Amino acid sequence: MAAPCSRMASRPICQFITNVRRTGLKHTGVRQISLGSACRAATQTRSKTESVASPWKLYGAVCLQRLPVISQERNPIEDQFAELMHQMELERSLLSDHEQRLLEDSERMTRKQADNYDSDEEEADYGGQETITAQDQEDTWEQKLKHFQPALRDRDVGGTPLGSVERCLGDSLVLLVQQTVGKETIWLLPQAQWEAGETLRQTAERGLSSLPEADFKATFLGNTPCGVYRYKFPKEVRTERCVGAKVFFFKAFLSAGSATSQNEPFLWVKKTELQGYLKPPYLEKVDRFILNL
Amino acid sequence: MLSCLVYLRNSSPLPLIWYVVLHSSLMGVDGHVSQGPWFASVLTLKTSAPLRAEPKKKKKVDPRREQMVRERLKKKLKKLERVPPELIPIEDFTTPAKYMDETRVRGAPQLPFEESERRALLLKEWSRYKQTQHRAEMEAVGLAVEAQREALEELRLESEELYQAALRPDPLLFPFNHQGPSYTPPKAQYEAPEGKYNNITKVYTQ
Repeated sequence: MAAPCSRMASRPICQFITNVRRTGLKHTGVRQISLGSACRAATQTRSKTESVASPWKLYGAVCLQRLPVISQERNPIEDQFAELMHQMELERSLLSDHEQRLLEDSERMTRKQADNYDSDEEEADYGGQETITAQDQEDTWEQKLKHFQPALRDRDVGGTPLGSVERCLGDSLVLLVQQTVGKETIWLLPQAQWEAGETLRQTAERGLSSLPEADFKATFLGNTPCGVYRYKFPKEVRTERCVGAKVFFFKAFLSAGSATSQNEPFLWVKKTELQGYLKPPYLEKVDRFILNL
Repeated sequence: MLSCLVYLRNSSPLPLIWYVVLHSSLMGVDGHVSQGPWFASVLTLKTSAPLRAEPKKKKKVDPRREQMVRERLKKKLKKLERVPPELIPIEDFTTPAKYMDETRVRGAPQLPFEESERRALLLKEWSRYKQTQHRAEMEAVGLAVEAQREALEELRLESEELYQAALRPDPLLFPFNHQGPSYTPPKAQYEAPEGKYNNITKVYTQ
């Protein structure tokens, strides 16, 4: 792995990365010495000259989730319970205005069809107007509803490609990209290497925006990373300076955006499908913070 | 000599003078005054000299009395204002009268034994299902929190600066808006029909 090592050597030593092993000593040293500003400055310069860059390379990755667009299908038990609830609510309710009107209309119809129908009496009550029965109104409403065609719930019947954002509208999907890490090209969450002077969240944002042929508008949920994956480089690549890498993940929700072309190496997968694409140790860490709720 | 006591309401020294003037004028006039002493006194009152010369004094008690009346009214107003404002009624808490009507009651159905049994068993199964769901949710959230804690630990080991930057709250995150899932997905280029409505909600002011 020549390229990353050379990058490592040419990278300027960061002033604010302190050595892992000397963290404890530094703190005790500060406490013992009196906290005059001059003393503090002296300790800081001392720590700067002493500090060595940590042996871990830092990466910022983004876990971009597209939240579900439609509600999920009900389980059989959920179906039964919903029906039961509806039934019980109906039984315990009072008659509504509309239902009363329906009852009155049906009574009036029966009275009209009876033999001893006195139309004058009826008309005296209702003022002789032509009334629209509640049943007629119901029919007109049903007709109007039929004119409206909602979009179909299950569009996956045709088999939308895995790279499309529109698949599995009922579940939350995670974005996976194919990147070259070391010698291999593997599927992982989009990541970028950390550069001096930026926070890790900015690194993650850069990693997302630098994806080719795609513009995703994401809202990052805070500055805190939600997970970390630490791995050591294979022995032949390991040096004193870089032992391995730490990848910090940040969560984001997709607000808008699309991929321009279809051939880009993107994948939108559900949590259950991650197993087929990610490596086991990576998956173990990533699985924890991807919630399927 | 007439001993008429002219009674006057206010106790000024004026009436004594009037009495003296009346008397002298009565003596001086002869023949013309025939009606009686009272009529003559009324005539002379209008033209007697002291009345013309001295300006009529305003009664001091009147402005004070008016002020007292005004103060009393103001106190009454203050008492009325001290009443606390009427509370705005919560319309959801009062059942409107038209729903207390008996004709609205639906006939309560008599459930057969099997049906009631089925309902009871279904409710129990539902509680079990919800319990497992809740446990799974709590576990998932616990795992996510644990993952975040580990991430922050590792970050702290790496660099204090980045750790502090990670702990800072994000001011641009809130207010956060997101459209939740609906039953059917949104139609592309759908124009909702415009409708008008009359808003008849009652607005109360205190």
